[in-house]
Amino acid sequence: MDGYIYNWNVVWQSMPELRQGLIITLQISIVGMALAIAFGLIFATGRLSQYGYIRKISVGVVDVSRSIPLFVLLFWIYYGLSLKFSINLTAFQAGAIALGITGGAYMAEVFRGGINAIDLGQREAALAIGLTQSKAFFLVIFPQAIRIIVPQAVNVYVGLLKGATIVSVIGVADMIYVAQYVSLNSFTPFEMYSAVGIAFIALTVSVAGLAFLLEKRLNQGRARG
Amino acid sequence: MDNAQPFFDFGPIWESRWLLLEGFGIAMFSAVAGIFFAIVLGLIVALMRLSRFKVLRGIAFVYTQLFRGVPLYVLILWIYFGLVYAVGIDIPRIPSGIIALALLNSGYLSETFRSGILAIDKGQREAGEALGLKKWEVTRYIILPQAGRIVVPPTGNQFVDAIKDSAILSIIGVPELMKIAQEQANLFYRPFEFYTVAGLMYLVAVMLVSRGVFMLEGRLARYSRSKGHDESSETAPSASEVNN
Repeated sequence: MDGYIYNWNVVWQSMPELRQGLIITLQISIVGMALAIAFGLIFATGRLSQYGYIRKISVGVVDVSRSIPLFVLLFWIYYGLSLKFSINLTAFQAGAIALGITGGAYMAEVFRGGINAIDLGQREAALAIGLTQSKAFFLVIFPQAIRIIVPQAVNVYVGLLKGATIVSVIGVADMIYVAQYVSLNSFTPFEMYSAVGIAFIALTVSVAGLAFLLEKRLNQGRARG
Repeated sequence: MDNAQPFFDFGPIWESRWLLLEGFGIAMFSAVAGIFFAIVLGLIVALMRLSRFKVLRGIAFVYTQLFRGVPLYVLILWIYFGLVYAVGIDIPRIPSGIIALALLNSGYLSETFRSGILAIDKGQREAGEALGLKKWEVTRYIILPQAGRIVVPPTGNQFVDAIKDSAILSIIGVPELMKIAQEQANLFYRPFEFYTVAGLMYLVAVMLVSRGVFMLEGRLARYSRSKGHDESSETAPSASEVNN
């Protein structure tokens, strides 16, 4: 402990910037999640398609995007793709797209799992009483699947929230970016990173708690087996 | 972009192939070491969570919440930059990265192990104790070997995550694949080519490990009497299954 003086004041002083950083993290993770849901729906539907090649492509896309580290994806999009094809992407946009692709791969599996978990008899019964294919899906299958999907989707979101921290590497001014900047000037990395860590734990624990409550609510209307 | 240069040029990749492979080796080493310590820590924490003593249970609970909630990026910065200043412990880059990977993954693995242990029928413990084995002997020789079989697939998936996460070690300067790719991309001014190849290298590693886990899962399922997981994630359901 060679005479290190803890300086927690720095954390309080940089609170406005940290709060701004937190808002950016929330924004980028929400945009990323929206993209992930869209991406996930497309490829989950693709995987349930009646055409073999569409199924194969969907499986391939999901497997590939799930296997590439978010960090690599981010650099590939922001430095590789945008430079090569002269696409002007802001760091925020590149980050959101990378989060959307990674999250989308997980969401595709979540959607597929949720829909597959519904008993086939439900669909058969719906068709037997004269509902069309799409009505059977939207009125019978989907409302049941959503109960399974929502809690898992929240887990994916928590993952994206944590993943969103790496966008500071390409210069998005999130909490880590602020912490790095502040600690460079005041030599207080311990305090700053501790504060950011605690903020994140509080955030993820509360989102997970929310998911738990939501899960209980969604299960209320369900028959007990 | 300069017109004199080819649009795609993978020549620089070939020039720096040994560097990239060395980086790949360091990435794999970090992931393997990280997951190894994560398994050890995770098992200890899982047993603590199932302990009779409230204090141990409490500590283990906080531990899991902590390391499942904190982003790896923050954890790495905290260990590598934060601890040096505050406590004066100067941990070199690669060990810092491995410690971060181990702590983070142990949070998840402890939950996996706990549910694996809880999945073993209570009768097994009772039967063991009826035979006169001590409590720890029952845990060591009867419960853990059976639970081990259950937790292999999720542990394998955690290993896959560790491989992907190891890319983040580049931010503290660990010379792993991503760091090398960054350096070489800047050197040759070919970011697209280098990040594509780096991505493909991670892809191959992840696919091979996933494949291995899947095969192992199949092998282990043969030994267990229970049905095991029958959601075959590898094969897409055929159209007839879905539509009829």
